[in-house]
Amino acid sequence: MATKAATPATVRVPVESRASRGLWRDALVRLRRNRPALVGLACIAIFVFVAFFAPWLAQYDPNKGGLGKTFEPPSAAHWAGLDKLGRDELTRVMYGARISLVVGVVSVTVGLTIGGLVGAIAGGVGGRIDTILMRITDVFLAIPGILLAIGIVAWLGQGLVQIMIAVAVANAPIFARILRGSLLSLREAEFVTAARSVGASRTRLLLRHMLPNALTALIVAATLALATAIIDVAGLGFLGLGPPDPRTAEWGTMLTDSTEALRRAPWLIFAPGIAIVISAIGFNLLGDGLRESLDPRLKR
Amino acid sequence: MTTTTPPPAPAPTAAGAAGGVASVPLLSVRDLVVRFRTQDGTIYAVNGIDFDLAEGETLGIVGESGCGKSVTNLAIMRLLPKPAGRIERGRILLDGQDLVVLSESEIRAIRGRDVAMIFQDPMTSLNPVLTIEEQMVETIRAHRTTSKEEARARAIELLEMVGIPKPETRLKAFPHQFSGGMRQRVMIAMALALDPRLLIADEPTTALDVTIQAQILEILARLATESGTALILITHDLGVVAGMTKRINVMYAGFVVESATTPELFALPSHPYTIGLLHSIPRLDSDGDEDLIPIEGRPPDQRVEPVGCPFAPRCAWRIDDCWSDNPGLAAIDGRAAVVMTGPAATHRIACFNPPTHDEALAGRPLREGFRPAPPPGTLPEDTGFEGLGSEEALEALEPQGAEHSPLLPRDEALLDAGRDRGQYPGDADRDSHR
Amino acid sequence: MIKYIVRRLLGAIPVLFGLSIILFAFIHLLPGDPAATILGQHARPELVDAMRHRLGLDLPLWQQYLNYVGDLLHGDLGRSFVNNRSVVDDFFVRFPGTVELTLAALAFAVGLGIPMGRWAARKPQSFSDGFITVVSLVGVSIPIFVLGLSLQYVFAVQLHILPASGRIDPRLQVPYTTNFLLIDTLLAGRPDAFVDSLRHLVLPAIALGSIPLAIITRITRASVLDVTHEDYVRTARAKGLTEKRVDGRHIMRNAWLPVVTVIGLQVGGLLAGAVITETVFAWNGVGKWVVEAIEAHDYFVIQSSILIFALIFLLVNLVVDIGYAFLNPRIRYS
Repeated sequence: MATKAATPATVRVPVESRASRGLWRDALVRLRRNRPALVGLACIAIFVFVAFFAPWLAQYDPNKGGLGKTFEPPSAAHWAGLDKLGRDELTRVMYGARISLVVGVVSVTVGLTIGGLVGAIAGGVGGRIDTILMRITDVFLAIPGILLAIGIVAWLGQGLVQIMIAVAVANAPIFARILRGSLLSLREAEFVTAARSVGASRTRLLLRHMLPNALTALIVAATLALATAIIDVAGLGFLGLGPPDPRTAEWGTMLTDSTEALRRAPWLIFAPGIAIVISAIGFNLLGDGLRESLDPRLKR
Repeated sequence: MTTTTPPPAPAPTAAGAAGGVASVPLLSVRDLVVRFRTQDGTIYAVNGIDFDLAEGETLGIVGESGCGKSVTNLAIMRLLPKPAGRIERGRILLDGQDLVVLSESEIRAIRGRDVAMIFQDPMTSLNPVLTIEEQMVETIRAHRTTSKEEARARAIELLEMVGIPKPETRLKAFPHQFSGGMRQRVMIAMALALDPRLLIADEPTTALDVTIQAQILEILARLATESGTALILITHDLGVVAGMTKRINVMYAGFVVESATTPELFALPSHPYTIGLLHSIPRLDSDGDEDLIPIEGRPPDQRVEPVGCPFAPRCAWRIDDCWSDNPGLAAIDGRAAVVMTGPAATHRIACFNPPTHDEALAGRPLREGFRPAPPPGTLPEDTGFEGLGSEEALEALEPQGAEHSPLLPRDEALLDAGRDRGQYPGDADRDSHR
Repeated sequence: MIKYIVRRLLGAIPVLFGLSIILFAFIHLLPGDPAATILGQHARPELVDAMRHRLGLDLPLWQQYLNYVGDLLHGDLGRSFVNNRSVVDDFFVRFPGTVELTLAALAFAVGLGIPMGRWAARKPQSFSDGFITVVSLVGVSIPIFVLGLSLQYVFAVQLHILPASGRIDPRLQVPYTTNFLLIDTLLAGRPDAFVDSLRHLVLPAIALGSIPLAIITRITRASVLDVTHEDYVRTARAKGLTEKRVDGRHIMRNAWLPVVTVIGLQVGGLLAGAVITETVFAWNGVGKWVVEAIEAHDYFVIQSSILIFALIFLLVNLVVDIGYAFLNPRIRYS
């Protein structure tokens, strides 16, 4: 009896603070509590919804002119007014979402794939291959952002595919840098050392332990890059490097048209301008939210 | 807050039994309550503590991280992190002047000049982009109208005092050009720059190598004695305070649970927590594994307003009252007259069911048939912890920071030191034990 | 320190080498024959051949590359396909306009971004912090041309308080000496023209500076907040320093470091953004020149301007890194 009482307490296994259900589930839980990120998600949802259902949402044909007077101000029938050919501006903005979405997503995906591969090889293999790959990356990074895209479109000629390639190539070196950077810092991480100490092979180390952790930074960067991609695509369009067919409803090209009529029809800036800003804000907010959710240490 | 019963505030001069020390204490903390308001709710960091410190006296404050020892001292400096940290109640009298009510500029004049502070991590406590000279000179010139040259001469003198070779050239160096031990010496020199009357050292050696720790403590003790500066040494390491300070306050969950002179505390540890601390440290002459008795469980969730004795959930001596009432700090012999400072300071504990001396030595209750009182609302047979609070409350017990182990730092010589009546074992001694 | 600068300079060499290869490839891997492009579709074959010879296009590729690099090292960037003018000469006529615009935008971004970031950091989660966060979010999300057009419409078309486009009112007839109009007008002793060119600068500078402004604000806020929680700031307060001194000397001296790096990184974005800004505001600079060159398929101009922009970008980053090292003793003394 005395001995039993002598034990101050039964040994108790410490309960882990809210049992972790893995990195991604935890991140999702945090993301759901992040109000700005939810606002961003809502913006993106609107953008994607409009892009998908533009033919059903829009009341007019985006290329049918003469619906009324040219440069007709916004009215009940045409909420965003009519452009220089008397086409419905709102309809064209809706169809423009399709181009922005497709070009943005494809170019970021391609850039992510190229940059991810380069970064994974550089950061995973190291040594001379790393040096060479990073030097090449540095060359591309030395050409400021959209200027590289401009050069590529000037070189390849105008066209949607060319724009996608241009934006992808402009983004790829950034992704390569980020992935390599996080792989290098992970190489020193204790859990990687631990895995190495129990004899995990190099490939396994890279694929199972380092890449999944390094991917978080890449996903954040890709989300933020979508915002930049949409702006860059519109920028190319604005500079006259948009789709070769000038009739195509593309936000940047539409803005160029509105420049010419700034005094007569200033409202033509609004619809495409707001569309670009909302979709960019959406991806920026989501990217920031993801960053905070995936790396809780950042949260203040 | 009905259960926190502050002890009767003794008159500062009621020190008749102590003989010599009958003056107004240098520092007098009364019913200090500090809370943090955070997004996760209120944190009850310090829950009404009282202590005094006489001119030139040395006091150790010991406890696990999160027990409120650092917060208490940040409160004295009025450096609680804003806007979360707030002094909710109480007085902090320095020479009879209440620091709590001072304006920002009045407290600023006291910081560094009357009360100086040394922090835990010398690697991060010095500004990396300013030279040692800039940082020392600005300290002196913030409080004294001296020329830069005079301030610089004083800085050289101080660096010499703390044993930094070639101080004239080292003044021009940046913090990253110093080792950790040297940086802590710089911190000490800077803290003593204006001959403060009170020096607060918050875990000054925790971040340092073991071999350096003794050197730093030696410098600190020597300089404090030489200059007659009162010293508060905050630590989780009973071995450090054993040789350094004349008195010790043991803190737990924002309460002082035991207060005694250093020899008395080691000779007659009387609070179950203090006993637990002493028994959770390995000792050299251990003759079996029965000597090591870890303190089970974790410190309480400080987001919950404390009810009852904060140590009750982990205590082997707890009785029913411990769950509902907080035993205030009271003299161990039951006398009403309390001496707050000096070598005759009253040994006080906050406990309804104090362990006997034999139990203290054994580290567990020896009474026939005694069982710790179960939490209210559980069956008497149930001695486990299942009934204690909700799962959430238990989860939140996770202590923060690096030093969260209830097994406080290993100091092999600790209990020997206790037998030697608080003599701190010399560095050579410690090394010979290894 | 000198070692550090030399190492950084040497590190730029492989990048320059890579750049020259890419830009060489840009011309020589162009779909179609540059000579034919210059002369037009219906040029006679012997003329095309003569042109190929003149441009050195009949030489082996490696020799063409060596010639290209040799020309570059002599500062010869070739001649425009379109008007046969020296690219270098044209560049220096246009470049001051871009420098003026870029510096003005940078001044706007830094001058407003740092105080805004510090203000937001002073009381995190407060209304002013939230407001600044939203402003900087919109700042990074609004394209230059959307903002530029809106500014033009509001301030020029509607309110008539600022000019909509151009660098200066052409009726003012200022003699060009340096092509920096702010300087030229002063040299000519024409305060009226100086003010006019300054007024022309306002809207483009704001449009171009909005993204850097947002980024600098964010990084300043984050950096100040980070430093505020550092132990040495607590030490500074414990020493009894005034808040002003704690803020200016202990917080800002450290908070500067990441801000400086980010400011350097903005220069690339500003140069790229200048291309669009100059198009919106009909601003006669390198950016507008590039866009005109693209429309005219004037490849030497495109190639050269990309090269020069990259050189400037590399140079600015070098300067920023050295400046960073000066600010940060941990690098300076290692």
